[in-house]
Amino acid sequence: MSAGTVAGGPASIAAPPRRRGRGLLRRHSAMPVVLAAALLGTYLWVRSSPLDDIERRSLNADTLLRLLGRHLELTAVTAVVVVVLAVGAGILLTRPALRWLAPAATSLANIGQATPAIGLLVLLSIWLGIGFTTAVIGLIAYAVLPVLQNTIVGINQVDRSLVQAGKGIGMTPLAVLVRVELPLAVPVILAGIRTALVLAVGVATLAAFIDVGGLGELIVTGIKLQRTSVLVTGAVLTAALALVLDWLGGVVSDLLQPRGLD
Amino acid sequence: MTDDVMISLENVSKTYRGQKAPAVENVSMTIHRGEIVVLVGPSGCGKTTTMKMINRLIEPSGGRILVDGEDVTALDGTQLRRRIGYVIQQGGLFPHMSVATNIGLVPKMLGWKRGRIEERVDELLHLVGLEPGQYRDRLPRQLSGGQQQRVGVARALAADPPVMLMDEPFGATDPLTRDRLQNEFLRLQEKLQKTIVFVTHDFDEAIKMGTRIAVLGERSRIRQFDTPEQLLAAPADETVGQFIGAGAALKRLNLRRIDSVECGDAELMGVEESPTAVLRRLDSCDADAVLTVDGQRRPLRWVGVRDLGPDQADLRGIGLPVTVVESRATLHDALDQMLTSNCGSVVVVDDDGRYCGVVNIECLMRAISEMREAARERDRGVIEASPGTPAQAVRGRR
Repeated sequence: MSAGTVAGGPASIAAPPRRRGRGLLRRHSAMPVVLAAALLGTYLWVRSSPLDDIERRSLNADTLLRLLGRHLELTAVTAVVVVVLAVGAGILLTRPALRWLAPAATSLANIGQATPAIGLLVLLSIWLGIGFTTAVIGLIAYAVLPVLQNTIVGINQVDRSLVQAGKGIGMTPLAVLVRVELPLAVPVILAGIRTALVLAVGVATLAAFIDVGGLGELIVTGIKLQRTSVLVTGAVLTAALALVLDWLGGVVSDLLQPRGLD
Repeated sequence: MTDDVMISLENVSKTYRGQKAPAVENVSMTIHRGEIVVLVGPSGCGKTTTMKMINRLIEPSGGRILVDGEDVTALDGTQLRRRIGYVIQQGGLFPHMSVATNIGLVPKMLGWKRGRIEERVDELLHLVGLEPGQYRDRLPRQLSGGQQQRVGVARALAADPPVMLMDEPFGATDPLTRDRLQNEFLRLQEKLQKTIVFVTHDFDEAIKMGTRIAVLGERSRIRQFDTPEQLLAAPADETVGQFIGAGAALKRLNLRRIDSVECGDAELMGVEESPTAVLRRLDSCDADAVLTVDGQRRPLRWVGVRDLGPDQADLRGIGLPVTVVESRATLHDALDQMLTSNCGSVVVVDDDGRYCGVVNIECLMRAISEMREAARERDRGVIEASPGTPAQAVRGRR
């Protein structure tokens, strides 16, 4: 489980901004290079092989951009809803009044993740009908756990004596949450969001099965019609998208790393 | 009730939910303005719980607590805590905020203007002995343990609260740093005259810091509440006696500060003087060595006849290094230094490190016999005056 792991290397905090920037560059420059090489390689390979009608219908800029756009749309909507829901719920579940509910809530979220994604999507579409909303609901159920769990763990790992100190000098409970608990929990929460994003990109390919589109369509087409180039393009693009988002997440979490922690 | 009382606990109890036995049972205690009351007792005796009920970090389940005449349970907890300074072990500084932000938290919550907060932060950093320009923008982890503790004290003092609660504030520092922090804090308290409730499990610290000490037993029951002198001279029962531990007589040395004993004097000479001047000086008095001082009268070294060579122009770098103690240190500190140093006497210096006098073993012996004499006189007085409850006798100190 990803809960409790803080992704990203330790940021050099005492360092002035410029050195911090250089550190970022050093730590995060490898991934874009690798991705660019993979994408270029795939492009050259597809370019050099003769394409038939079916392949040409899938592998053109317009279609690819449309599918990529759809995929991003699915992922983005899921991510926003998950962050709002799961971070909110995580905060509530760490308040003294509701703390006892936390185990029940995480096991509920666990069910969402433990169910096979394709089965969940099919069940949901029987119940709610085929469409974008159904796909998003399925994705949310799938991506909520890491964020919820990391929010709870992130807040609970904040040194209790600091929370007491905050209360002791007269901070309101809200001020303790906003000024002490959340800033110190940010790295762990962000790690959860990153995991959720990568999961969502992967699972969103299954949305093609309930006719919502996205990069999954390429994979489904490739499998059904036995067109390897289409299948590989879809798979490479999906993987690249997941890795780009993960990379962005790493950069953001380094930038948001609270000062004074290592 | 007189104006003199700052905090009073009346039959205060605390029973945690799901527990039959109360953690604190029927504690009553009055704390006067400007005194340091130390709650001391074995761990788990409820001393911290008792303290936290004063600022309602823990809600009392019975009894009344008055701070400056107001019942705290009638006040809003958050507002109440802004008016009471709170220091915990290691300072409890927020690691993601700069020193200045940490100190400015309470004033900011009280709605002070930014300029005023900045001024106050610098003033407080000066007060606790940290150069504002150097430390204002540092993060807590860039400070040593002792420095963090000082910032913690500064933060508690930020809005100038009349009452401070301190929960084992110097507990996590090494003995040397702790000693210095204690001395500094006592010096600060002389100026500030806050009413302080101080929790510790270290009896020696209690003796050093307390105006009065409450020795607590199970469920925070007060076994004895008295001045350190009385506590050491007349422990109320066997448990208190055990807690004081062996060597009560030696511990009494903690009660007198060096500035209260008569110091001897040394022959002072500037480092720039010539060896011949030293010989002349030593001939004219019965001292074995002279004490060299710098331009600011800060002591440097002991120089005796044997240290003088024929080819020296001045006294720089020769002789034995001196052992210094602050004038606020206790006789116990002085004795300790004396035993570890190699010349059997210590040089007393003021806050700026300037020479004040010399204390040797004879001075200490004189002070000890004075104390013994005084204790004997006082015991006679107490027994004649109130044979009933010497343990509850309240007497000012110093």
